[in-house]
Amino acid sequence: MNYAEPKTVLYFLWNYHDLLFDLFALQRDKGYISRELMQLTGKKHGHDILPQLLEYRVLRELNEDYEIHSVFYSLMEFLLNEFKPLLPETIQKYHYSISALFRKIRESQGQDEKAILQNRITDLSLQIKEFVELVEKNTIKLLSETRELKSNVAKIDYREKVHKASFWIEYYIVPLNQILNVNEYDSVANKLYEISEYVNQKRLLYTDDSIRGRFEKLYNQLVQVNDDLLKQSKILTNELLPLIERIKTESTILTGWIEFLKNPYKVDTPEILKAERGYPYSSNIYLNTQEFFEQYLNAAPVFVDEPQAPAEKWIFDRDKYKSKLQQELPVEDFFHWCADSLSSEYQLVETDKFFSLTGLLFEDDLHLDIESGAKPGKVSTTDFTLKVPKIKINTHGVSEIPYTDR
Amino acid sequence: MEYPKYHTQIVEALMGGKFILAGDKYFDELKANESFYASFFKVSFRYELKYSQEYAYLVSTDTTENLSRDISIFFAILCYELDRDGKNFMDELQYAEFEMDKIDEYFENSTYKELIKANNQLKDSESRRKLIRNGIIKRNIATKTGEERFVFTPASKVFINFALDLARQRSAETEAEGARS
Repeated sequence: MNYAEPKTVLYFLWNYHDLLFDLFALQRDKGYISRELMQLTGKKHGHDILPQLLEYRVLRELNEDYEIHSVFYSLMEFLLNEFKPLLPETIQKYHYSISALFRKIRESQGQDEKAILQNRITDLSLQIKEFVELVEKNTIKLLSETRELKSNVAKIDYREKVHKASFWIEYYIVPLNQILNVNEYDSVANKLYEISEYVNQKRLLYTDDSIRGRFEKLYNQLVQVNDDLLKQSKILTNELLPLIERIKTESTILTGWIEFLKNPYKVDTPEILKAERGYPYSSNIYLNTQEFFEQYLNAAPVFVDEPQAPAEKWIFDRDKYKSKLQQELPVEDFFHWCADSLSSEYQLVETDKFFSLTGLLFEDDLHLDIESGAKPGKVSTTDFTLKVPKIKINTHGVSEIPYTDR
Repeated sequence: MEYPKYHTQIVEALMGGKFILAGDKYFDELKANESFYASFFKVSFRYELKYSQEYAYLVSTDTTENLSRDISIFFAILCYELDRDGKNFMDELQYAEFEMDKIDEYFENSTYKELIKANNQLKDSESRRKLIRNGIIKRNIATKTGEERFVFTPASKVFINFALDLARQRSAETEAEGARS
């Protein structure tokens, strides 16, 4: 008997929820809380609340150890959404309780049995509710376990992964699916379907108003249950089974790759077509080119010593040509001026002389005006015909065109 | 005689060793004229047209194509390393985008280092890039999504199915041996 005020217990739970959730995790993993771990957990949170936990019947002693009372355990399971998957054999027990209650309801006849019939309908409703809740919890847990297996955060070995996947399929998913399969003769879903048909008739035909009302309520519940179970069954067949099957397939593929890598050159790999290469030139071009170049590879070097006629070296007299340029300012086309100057002096425009003369352009005190968009002119030297821009030199020192307009 | 639409492109692609993928206009045309193309390649070149709901390609039994082996080793090591990295390699091959640098990381830290070094198409980063670009992407086994990125196409299933068949074959052999002894 719990003598504490309900509010006090709730306040206590709220106040020490962290510690309680730790105790919940301990029990979930081991099935009980050892005395040492109880003390360590209290120390970790800096509270010694063991007396209250026992007084409020949150914990109960189990020889030397402790365990959380099932009511509080279920509450925390629900709050944390951390359910332990139940073996389908455990869920299957509802088949017997539901069947037994249904049989008794059908057998109930006459006014004398009215009171017990009401109770049986209520109990049947309760059993169905519990059954659906357990199925939901199991599906949630199986889904999270499977997803965890698939995401493989723990990086478990693939053999272990297959082992786990097979384990979930064999012991949980397939049997649970059988319980929910309405087409299986002895499944709970099939029994609920049978009850639903019976209740549907009774809610309309039963003579007693109050009982008819209860059948009506039960019928509505069964319609809802049918939807819920269908949803759970779909999760199992559409999501869980393919997910787990995929893990198994993936591991088979990996086995195949590991086998292949043991000796990849002794296994016939998939046939694919060897691509044919088409060249737009002769297939012998490489050899022909090679042959052509190879003829020069071993050629002996030949030296030709040609006597050169002594020539007078020309030295560019910068000052002379600069003063000539200054005297002849303004010059409309600088490059033509260079060519004309050389032509009048030496009768021909030699390339090296022409290039030397064009160096005057870099004199600091000459201001150049380059006409943008002007058509370039041509100057012929002894070796080339050069395309040259039109550069105007108006004055020496100050340009005619303001700098900003260039 | 009237040839199907895109006949030239279909023949060119398949003869170039490419996979034609579902969703491609050439694939639809090929699908509509599947028996014609099967007999066309058989009679003209003795090539077999392999066709599934997701891809089509040509095979020739009398050619020795080393590329297939290199690609198989590439997939084997990649799947193995992805799994070792805690990833679901089937999902990765189906949905993920791969970066060349990440591929390098997997291959450089692989436990199959000896095998990788001995294979000219996989031995170093440059060789692998060349294999991916000129072998895998060019044949539509993967699609380029960026300068250094790519995604695998359903054609990669040819290699995945190869591993699956090999595993089943080895498992059957082991079972048969067990039954004999």
